Amino acid sequence: MKYAYYLSCINESLSKEAEYSLNIWTKDLGIELVPLEEGTCCGGSNLDFVNPDQFLAINGRNIALAEKLGLDMITSCNTCLLGLRHAKHILDTQPEKKEMINAVLKEEGLEYTGKSEVKHLLWVLVDDYGLDKLAAKVTNPLTDLKFAPFYGCHILRPSPLMGGYDNPNNPHTLEDLIRALGGNVVEYNSKNKCCGFHTLIVAEQESVKLSGDAVVDAIDAKADYIVTPCPLCHMSLDAYQKDGLSTKNRQGKMPIIHLPQIVGMALGYTEKQLGIDKHVVV
Amino acid sequence: MDEKKDIYFKIYRYNPEVDQKPFYDDFKISVERGVTILRAINYIKDHVDSSLSYRFYCQAGICGSCAMRVNGVSKLACTTQVWDELENCKEKDMITIEPLNNFEIIRDMIVDYKPVINKLEKYISWVTPKIKQADLGKKENIISEAEFKVIDAATDCILCAACFSECSMMSANKEYISPLALLKAFRMVKDSRDTRSDERMAVLNQDHGMWDCTHCYRCVEACVKNIPIMDAIQGVRNEAFIRKQNGTEGYKHANAFAQDIRKTGRLKEATIAIRTKGIFGAAGMLPFAIRMTLRGRMPSMFVKTIPGIKHVRNIFRKIK
Repeated sequence: MKYAYYLSCINESLSKEAEYSLNIWTKDLGIELVPLEEGTCCGGSNLDFVNPDQFLAINGRNIALAEKLGLDMITSCNTCLLGLRHAKHILDTQPEKKEMINAVLKEEGLEYTGKSEVKHLLWVLVDDYGLDKLAAKVTNPLTDLKFAPFYGCHILRPSPLMGGYDNPNNPHTLEDLIRALGGNVVEYNSKNKCCGFHTLIVAEQESVKLSGDAVVDAIDAKADYIVTPCPLCHMSLDAYQKDGLSTKNRQGKMPIIHLPQIVGMALGYTEKQLGIDKHVVV
Repeated sequence: MDEKKDIYFKIYRYNPEVDQKPFYDDFKISVERGVTILRAINYIKDHVDSSLSYRFYCQAGICGSCAMRVNGVSKLACTTQVWDELENCKEKDMITIEPLNNFEIIRDMIVDYKPVINKLEKYISWVTPKIKQADLGKKENIISEAEFKVIDAATDCILCAACFSECSMMSANKEYISPLALLKAFRMVKDSRDTRSDERMAVLNQDHGMWDCTHCYRCVEACVKNIPIMDAIQGVRNEAFIRKQNGTEGYKHANAFAQDIRKTGRLKEATIAIRTKGIFGAAGMLPFAIRMTLRGRMPSMFVKTIPGIKHVRNIFRKIK
């Protein structure tokens, strides 16, 4: 299995542990990732309103780089997933937009055709690879651990852009993955809620209230970890955990782990190898 | 096929004048396929408990008054089928009915709608046309088909407040504008007949306004009319860029993404807070910076430029 791998800015800078914990086990599963070094930032859910046409061209170019390799593209960041799939949807349904961006991409020897799919790492593991096959690879079943799944918004909503993988009001793919790895899932109310990441700088108090809600919810459900497929949610829930808890007048600790880390744990890698010791809450 | 079955309704009850706190009543009724949630609770009110309180009027998905939470999700009772909801029950065949979130409760599912009215007033959510008051009704105030197409979907809003109820930021701060008022703002700002957009944009740019949306898309998912509310929110923000209203943190934050992509292709995370809030404003983020530094995770001030950046810059040059 071979994919073009879209490099997310946050995984290249603030959350490198998410990236290297992914790269540590892909070979074990026979998954080859070709990093798209020439790809740019997706616009972080901002460029689409700064300049909608530039947003289309930038992300059309990102996908065209994967198309040139003849590969589907995967990302391990929810917001990159949204940006790329949003642009793809517009380009695939509005021929005049596709023509507009291709007129410029041509100068680089690129063309956006729409043939490469854009998928999240979670979907690739659940659908393309298959959970039975993944379960068979587990060397360290997570039997004694309880996980609170936190999906993050941009892998669920807007649902028409998300390929039908999950019902946004009652998702299950992350739970399915946790169980395939031998782990236990805790039921709690926050699994499809918002972490507040996108307003952490402009409305910090409100944002940390949202992440605090989820952390308190997971603590009350007696989870050992929150696991998330989004590095941005990880940042809100982990690095701002103390702030979030203080808005609820609560104390405690809830370690947050990235999707690649929970897979790595079940495949027998240590917390240190997976960079879990790099998190703020350990 | 089983066309009629016993279904349990777990319904929120609260009368603040009498009850210490909210509680739930369970009702078991026999329901045929094709019955809506509204008809089912009307049956309970008519035959089991006449004190059950909720709003409804048109029963056809037009007036928006019967919005409530069904199995935890805000929707219209009159357009929601009981049998469809059976798939969403946490306990088998038990449908939970609750009032909208983010409102004060008057009684049971009746919420105090006043905050919506206040926000619609604050953000000037109506068209003030160019023609004089005296000529209204005498002269036509025309909008072209192309101009109307921009706001067409937004005009479908029936003010049911399902989006208001699902909004993440509303749950964090009641001062927040709300997706409902943002949708209306877009509809008015983009209406070529309107004359007060300068004034409206000034209010939208204030604290708790358009820049505080956290992009969770819960409003879009909840909209009973399938209006792409987030497109409207981004549309209002785009209007700020068109007008070069560059004084807000929200504007500066978003603009930093565009600048970075053009410059290196990648986001320069190390300075984004300073570029958004200025040096003094970003001082509040010092504890975050210290935490990240202690874990060896503070990003470098130097961002490696992607190969092929000249092509990216060409895109920014050619596509305006």
